[in-house]
Amino acid sequence: MRLISVALLALMAAAPVLAQTKGDPAAGKVKAYTCTGCHGITGYRNVYPHYHVPRIAGQNYEYLVAALNAYEAGTRKHPTMVAQAQSLSEQDIADIAAYLANTTNP
Amino acid sequence: MKNWMAIAALGVIVSHSAMASGNPGRGLELSVPCQACHGKDGNGVGDPQYPIIAGQYADYLEHSLKAYRSGERENAIMLGFAQTLSDQDIKDLAAYFAAQQSKLGDLDRKNVD
Repeated sequence: MRLISVALLALMAAAPVLAQTKGDPAAGKVKAYTCTGCHGITGYRNVYPHYHVPRIAGQNYEYLVAALNAYEAGTRKHPTMVAQAQSLSEQDIADIAAYLANTTNP
Repeated sequence: MKNWMAIAALGVIVSHSAMASGNPGRGLELSVPCQACHGKDGNGVGDPQYPIIAGQYADYLEHSLKAYRSGERENAIMLGFAQTLSDQDIKDLAAYFAAQQSKLGDLDRKNVD
């Protein structure tokens, strides 16, 4: 009995951590609507400087989380992406990254 | 004299066209340091902290490497590598990785609510 309580306590302590780092692809799908404005148009280009907006569908979850955190922190400086990332919570970032990593549209 | 000028003009045109787009074959030769983290074809080595660069847009890869090189995009590891690269090296590397197969794609608007 005591062992079970300890195990349950450990699970309860671990649960919020898992929820924060995992990301929910279904929730991310809804939150990713804004992303499609630029990343959902094949061949769409950034201006000044001029280059294609990167392909992000199918990208690695961990990298996407790091990229959005870097925009939020300002270590990546694209103005639109900084503004977008700063509007997102940690959970939003995890959810969006989970959706993007799980979707492919080659 | 006329011949000399024609050859000089041709030289300018050839070097200009070489600058305009990358050479994937040369990119592969230059890519050895990249391969440790990004894999030989840019699909990674199983560590998801590193992005998939295979099949990414060449001009975005070029923009990224230049941003690492200037320090605008802050990353100690990529800064070190990018600072060894000329503009032409960057074009060649971008052309090589962009030409590789991957699961990267643009988002599909229809799939998002």
